[in-house]
Amino acid sequence: MIAIRLLIDVLIVVGAYFALAGTLGILKMPDVLCRMQASTCIPTLGVLCVAIGGILYAACFLHSADNAIKIAVIGLMILFTNPIGSHVLAKGAYKADRKGKNSLKLNPDDYGRDINE
Amino acid sequence: MQKTRFSAVLATFILCMVVWILITWSFSVQELVAGVLVSLATALFSSRFFAHGDSWRFFNPAKIFSLIGYSFTFFKELVKANVDMAKRVYGGCKAVNPGIVRVPTEMKSDYGLALLSDSITLTPGTITMDVAEEDGKNCLYVHWIDVTAESGEAAGEAIKGELEKGTRRVFD
Repeated sequence: MIAIRLLIDVLIVVGAYFALAGTLGILKMPDVLCRMQASTCIPTLGVLCVAIGGILYAACFLHSADNAIKIAVIGLMILFTNPIGSHVLAKGAYKADRKGKNSLKLNPDDYGRDINE
Repeated sequence: MQKTRFSAVLATFILCMVVWILITWSFSVQELVAGVLVSLATALFSSRFFAHGDSWRFFNPAKIFSLIGYSFTFFKELVKANVDMAKRVYGGCKAVNPGIVRVPTEMKSDYGLALLSDSITLTPGTITMDVAEEDGKNCLYVHWIDVTAESGEAAGEAIKGELEKGTRRVFD
């Protein structure tokens, strides 16, 4: 039992570590798209590790199957819906940038910047 | 726009109902009747966007098992990319070198393209910005935080090599 308890604590600490990495990345990165890249750490490993820890806790210590399943569904929902939001945000940021001020710091010799309007 | 078909509505209804039961986890008659009504309304309105082609492919056991197998591949890539991004943020010594690359892909079906580009977006370090069809081939426009490859094919191998193999096993 103590091993499972330790495993849960380690999972939650690892999740918090990656969530902190994402948050610091939002502050440190130079432009919009790079900030979004860093913040993807939060919904992936950050949420997943905390969710797995929560599932183990609900299953082994609270003995409630419904809470464990609810946490699993929450994790899956975040995994399914998050990429759609960030995809639309990235496209919108790129299009807004083309109109005026050139705030995106893109590599000048990259290939294929002509995204279809 | 597609027409609403009965099989598509039924498949969407079953999926919504399963999610409803998982979320509420109570089997009283009131909850179940409310779930049926909500799922039916959702299925009627959204099935034509949700189910294209064969509606029953979601319930094919072989596909479900290959999807579970794909999730392990995806998790491996996810951990690798997350550690890389954490090094970039905490270390500070690794320079960022962002750019948008055009990556050709072999995927044909809508579901496969959606799964592949969602997986790429969920991996820290890459965001799919657009999917375009160019001379008979589907291309992904991917914002990449560290552009190291010389061409679109090499970039594709680095970004989605493992992911595309797994995706093609699920939807092809």
